[in-house]
Amino acid sequence: MSNQNDMSDYTAESPAREAWRMFRRNIPALVGVFILAAIILLTFYGQFFYTGDAFDVVWAPHERPGVTPEFPLGTDYLGRDLVAGLLTGGGATLAVGATAAMITMIIGITFGALAGFYGGWVDNLLMRITEFFQVLPALLFAMVLVTLFSPSLFTIAMAIGVVSWPQTARLTRAEFLKIKELEYVTAARAIGAKNKRIIWKVILPNAMPPLIVSATLTIGVAILFEAGLSFLGLGDPNVMSWGLMIGANREYILDAWWPVTFPGLAIFFTVFAVSLIGDGLNDAFNPKLRER
Amino acid sequence: MSALLDIKDLRVTFNTRYGEVTALDSVSLHVNEGETLGVVGESGCGKSITALATMGLIPSPPGRIAGGSIALNGEELTSASEARLRALRGAEIAMIFQEPMTSLNPVFTVGAQIAEAIMLHQKVSRDTAMKDAVALLDRVGIPSPAERARDYPHQLSGGMRQRVMIAMAVSCRPKVLIADEPTTALDVTVQAQIFDLLNEIQREFGAAIILITHDMGAISEMADRVAVMYAGRVIEEASADSVLDTPQHPYARGLIDCIPALGKGDTALKEIPGVVPPLHLLGAGCAFAARCAHANARCLSEKPLLANHGHHPSACHAVEEARI
Repeated sequence: MSNQNDMSDYTAESPAREAWRMFRRNIPALVGVFILAAIILLTFYGQFFYTGDAFDVVWAPHERPGVTPEFPLGTDYLGRDLVAGLLTGGGATLAVGATAAMITMIIGITFGALAGFYGGWVDNLLMRITEFFQVLPALLFAMVLVTLFSPSLFTIAMAIGVVSWPQTARLTRAEFLKIKELEYVTAARAIGAKNKRIIWKVILPNAMPPLIVSATLTIGVAILFEAGLSFLGLGDPNVMSWGLMIGANREYILDAWWPVTFPGLAIFFTVFAVSLIGDGLNDAFNPKLRER
Repeated sequence: MSALLDIKDLRVTFNTRYGEVTALDSVSLHVNEGETLGVVGESGCGKSITALATMGLIPSPPGRIAGGSIALNGEELTSASEARLRALRGAEIAMIFQEPMTSLNPVFTVGAQIAEAIMLHQKVSRDTAMKDAVALLDRVGIPSPAERARDYPHQLSGGMRQRVMIAMAVSCRPKVLIADEPTTALDVTVQAQIFDLLNEIQREFGAAIILITHDMGAISEMADRVAVMYAGRVIEEASADSVLDTPQHPYARGLIDCIPALGKGDTALKEIPGVVPPLHLLGAGCAFAARCAHANARCLSEKPLLANHGHHPSACHAVEEARI
């Protein structure tokens, strides 16, 4: 009882594989992956090749880049090595970015999923809370949180997560509102699945593509946030980060451009790479954009 | 013998912006073990709502079961707890949906989805469930079932997907299988195969099937008994042969006249003029009166009730008064 129709589109790929194939063909996204991989490798493994504590005063202050071979990017206002600073500082910046993005996703997805799935008063309550967080000026609120809980990498990541989840919540809610009406959700009920299973195992996996894109872009935003907070002097003073370097050296920018420029470029390239990857993922997951 | 599934005077209402609208009005249906009940009617007659109500899946709000009873093996479902309904769904009473394209979850393999359905109701390991899933795929006529179990829904054709849905629906050997227009989205040759499969499954598992369709051909092929629905009411109910050969209600006659026949010489396809009226505009009289050639003043003012007027039960004043 077979018919030729049955085997016609046998060669179709799984959605994830198809997205990966699309992503691989996207040159800007690959450039993004390359830059980010390079930055991650440098920040996590660079210290093994280029030893030196970023906080140590090792040379005369404000040495220009390229003058002294041991300190190719020069030194800052205290005479600290900028290469060591960049290599050590990247780890903190990236860790805060990733942690903050994770916190954003956890809070945002939970709120959005429950609001979108249950609707009614649950939706009303959760969305009013979301709006409350959304209308607060994000940087200011993050500053208040960091000041309240004494700056450390974790509290900074926490603060960034707490101020940036509403976007994710709204996105998740919209996806849930759309997907919960689809027939396979009713079909899941019809085989006796619980709400919990339907939320996390049926709807969420189908809502993931835009959320993955959003998570990637959130990492970029979180890195900028961390830099901003450090710049304002609210970073963890015991941990070198790119934002801290910019913040510490900002007063001398007219005399010495390099101590702020190099960490600035590092932040720029990281966020740029993350955005390229995010856009690439967006294109890969969104079939309607594929033919552009 | 009492029926396996017995629906009595079921009333389902929906809150809409036109106020409370009655989607099902005193619907009574029953189906016995191993029997196939065909439920026919145009779109919007309440066929799918009947199916969803039976599964306890009326979207609520805005919908609710406002009255009547649904009894499965003597157990009342309208007052059953959500947990009890969940335990019954899939295990005792299962459903096959209209669109096999959209009723499978696109991000999981079909084998995993069938295994899920099994594990929801039976305490078995994932490995056992996967083996059962492959056996079920084999049973519903899918070639190389072990490989197909690892396929995602979009890798399969419509007919194959509907077979997967059937495999999932019968995975826990339900007593009642509701098939909501299972072949509407499929092409004709595949339709015939799916009907054959449902017949086989019924013989093997002894399940009662409620076949919801607007395809009279499907009814003649599958159903033992037929209930014709119109605007949320059952307007005629009898054995399939009886309804197909001697339809009573003008609507049922119309539906059967609409079946194109080979060699009759008629050139134009017949149709029933007009559409099913919107539920919020139903008046006091017969819902079909506006489209009926036999309507008189009584039809416009008094709702006809389902009763036997000679041949088999129908709800029509014209039949009762022997005007047609």
